[in-house]
Amino acid sequence: MSDGRSALLNCLIPEDLAALLVREGVDPSRAWLSAETDLNLTGSYEHVFLLVEPDRLLTAGRPQGRGHGPVRVDLPREVIKEVRTRQGVGGGFIEVLVEGVYVEVLAFSNARADLFHKAAAKLKAWVAGEPVTVGPDDDYNPRKCPKCGMTLEFKGDICRRCVDRGAVLSRVLRLMQPYAGWAALMFGVLLVSIGLLMVPPRLTGILVDQVIAPKTEAAAAVPAATRELWLLYLVAALVAILILRAVCDSINGRLSSFVGTQVTSTMRETVLARLTRLSVDYYDRHSVGQLISRAGYDTAAFNDLVRQVTHGFLAQILVVAITGAMLFSLSWKLALWTLLPAPLVILASTFYWRRVYPRYFRVWDAHSRLMNSLNSILSGIRVVKAFGQEKREENRFGQSSRYVRDSARRVEYATSLFNPTMALIFGLGGPIVWYIGGRQVIRQEGLSLGNLVAFLAYLGMFYAPLTQMTQLTDWLTRFFTAAQRTFEILDTAPQIVEAAQPKVLASPEGAIRFDNVTFGYDRHEPIIRGVSFEVRPGEHIGIVGKSGSGKTTLINLVARFYDVDEGRVLIDGTDVHDADIDGLRRAIGVVLQEPFLFRGTIYDNITYGRRDASPEQVLAAAKAANAHAFIMRHPLGYDTYIGERGAGLSGGERQRISIARAILYDPKILILDEATSNVDTESELLIQQSLVRVTAGRTTIAIAHRLSTLKNSDRVLVVDKGRVVEQGSHEELLAVGGLYYRLVKIQTELSRESSVDSLSLRKP
Amino acid sequence: MTAAPDNTATPELDPTRVRFLSPDTCHIHLGTHDALHVTVENDRIYGGVYAAYAFPVAYPEGYISLIHVGDEEEMEIGVIRDLAEFPQAAARLVHEALARRYFVHTITRIRHMGWKYGFVAMDVETDKGSASFLMPWRHDRATDYGRHGKILIDVDNNRYLVPDLRKLAARELSEFQRYIYW
Repeated sequence: MSDGRSALLNCLIPEDLAALLVREGVDPSRAWLSAETDLNLTGSYEHVFLLVEPDRLLTAGRPQGRGHGPVRVDLPREVIKEVRTRQGVGGGFIEVLVEGVYVEVLAFSNARADLFHKAAAKLKAWVAGEPVTVGPDDDYNPRKCPKCGMTLEFKGDICRRCVDRGAVLSRVLRLMQPYAGWAALMFGVLLVSIGLLMVPPRLTGILVDQVIAPKTEAAAAVPAATRELWLLYLVAALVAILILRAVCDSINGRLSSFVGTQVTSTMRETVLARLTRLSVDYYDRHSVGQLISRAGYDTAAFNDLVRQVTHGFLAQILVVAITGAMLFSLSWKLALWTLLPAPLVILASTFYWRRVYPRYFRVWDAHSRLMNSLNSILSGIRVVKAFGQEKREENRFGQSSRYVRDSARRVEYATSLFNPTMALIFGLGGPIVWYIGGRQVIRQEGLSLGNLVAFLAYLGMFYAPLTQMTQLTDWLTRFFTAAQRTFEILDTAPQIVEAAQPKVLASPEGAIRFDNVTFGYDRHEPIIRGVSFEVRPGEHIGIVGKSGSGKTTLINLVARFYDVDEGRVLIDGTDVHDADIDGLRRAIGVVLQEPFLFRGTIYDNITYGRRDASPEQVLAAAKAANAHAFIMRHPLGYDTYIGERGAGLSGGERQRISIARAILYDPKILILDEATSNVDTESELLIQQSLVRVTAGRTTIAIAHRLSTLKNSDRVLVVDKGRVVEQGSHEELLAVGGLYYRLVKIQTELSRESSVDSLSLRKP
Repeated sequence: MTAAPDNTATPELDPTRVRFLSPDTCHIHLGTHDALHVTVENDRIYGGVYAAYAFPVAYPEGYISLIHVGDEEEMEIGVIRDLAEFPQAAARLVHEALARRYFVHTITRIRHMGWKYGFVAMDVETDKGSASFLMPWRHDRATDYGRHGKILIDVDNNRYLVPDLRKLAARELSEFQRYIYW
């Protein structure tokens, strides 16, 4: 039945088990399909094998106790009427229909789900008597890394194990490359500033040893008036240095602000550009609140980075290095004493990185949850009040708030212990120098009073940044957390990827074809199952079905918001997978149940898809959408500013604006997803009138619960459990007396709005 | 008992009402090829039945739905309010059916947690033996289980349950919350 062998579907049976099977009269070499699963039918881990011979299906495993054989299931092909997989929780089953009952024959964990879905498809064909082949091609699984075999998150994802990983820091540096010139300038100014900082202690030493308390006879012989003049010069030099340093610091501050805000701005825009390009499924998995936090706040960390590198920690590191050199040049013995606290610093920092660092994630998450909670309470305040749940919401918010408090305290308590401890360790250096250095001066062991004063001044410079540098870990922690979260977005590959050589839908006609399409948001749970249908250009199609039957999923696939798992969706004969995405979306207009309007004027919202539209076109579109009259009732007409999500307009008005937007977009295919569900009867009539005008000459797919809105459709597709179960005109479907008839019957009985929802229900 | 399922006499159930099953009105047994069958008084024999928790966290021993899957249609036969009311043999069959449907590892000890390839790497002891797995470091892969538990979903979509974080040893809890902080 197969030419080559598949490693997974022609797997080898262990010798001991094969020998047992042969003893039972089963020859494993007869099996055209053999696959190993990891679970038995009690839900425990066990190596169980599926063996399919041309005329029977078996499962086998090592005998479990005396009296048990290796064969678990043995069914002749003729008794099996159907094969299917059923998803459990964390795993699934292959079931076969025997004597009118679906019987579980094999269990698998989710790790093997792809394999056994594939096996089940082959078994179906085998049961139906169709030719089946098993070969090396069956081992290909687009959800496994071909290199290491690790399961990928989605088809075509990059394997994180095999990907070439660069450190966050090196990536940050690469991001900074365009600003290398500015960075060099800032670094130059920084060096000048630090150089100037090193001069005053030396001058102070000279002041003490040569001018104020001369230690040599020659110096002491200089007249007092001359020494006073030197004093004046040296003090003037100190003032000049202070002024120069202030100028340098000011220049550097401006430069770092310029570069930092620019980097942050660019990063914010890059993140948003990535977010807008990510496929719809990404938003199924992430809350908007968290993404706002990442795009809005985490990107600001890059500004802080520039400030810290040019003005903060880099400067501190340079100061420490140069002052260290000065300390050693003054007295290397004394300098060595000052390094005593270093091992303690390393130990404390290591502890901090390992123990405290990850808790910052928790604080961030707690904040994000708090904001989400606040957002949902305030957005849903009417519901809260209507159900009298103010107290409950206050309590819930209080819980979130206390969680933020506790998680922030935990981190801050740890840091508030860490930082003073580090300061104490460093502070111990001062007394050490006073004692050891003071003794050297008293005993005249080569250290002058001026040098001791200079040493202590340098020591202050040495320890001050070191004390601050203990905060470096704190800052780095926050920075890397934010950077990593930002990179996470940038690294997320859109699942919907344009073909390498996309076909341009130049002037689409609007023909749509579903060719045996299967799709599920969860890879093991198809929502759409083997759906095939065609829509002719200009045809008006209605889609009806119960909630969750797959109606919206069908139109999501037309617009290629998701990729099908099996089969094809074609527009004018071109597989949407091969079509250029921009052209595809340009050909499709969508009017949703919840029209989404953006903050801006009514004019901005109508021209959202076509910024180049003329005022005449806008007026015509609004008129056709029955929106013109209500727009003109606003004092500012089309220039009326509307708030977030169309605040200030009624549901019907928002919908008519969205229809005007769709008219102006002029798509060849128009999708109406429950476009009139959320509006009152009068608005619905107005919208229906406008839709008649909008849909003329366009391929239209309309989903509606109110079946009255579909009675003028050329054809209605009835969707149930992911399949198109009926199709035909309104009258034809009523005559069939199937699901559509039942839906119409229910709705006619329930409807009190006879003017809108009444449908002529003829007995079939 | 190996009664054949009767597919002919299915009285129409009111889909808007819950039918609670009691030992007086329903008999749970094995039928064709050891598939789970349920015979309901004044109704029919349902073959190829599976069991599902309605409240797996709050009431793991009650409110268990018995579902019959026909060719396409899934149909709830009824809900067992309290499994303890049923004879032991029937309760055992329902427990076995639940064990088959819910393939979840219950973590009893965390040996080590770390960071690998951008995933959380876990080395744990479970009720099904030792396990090492990688979990994408995302909120939707470690979801709440009741007020104090978490369900972790690894790269293969296998599930690992920590029923109550408070029952973890202090070191394990600290390590757990260092990575799964939400």
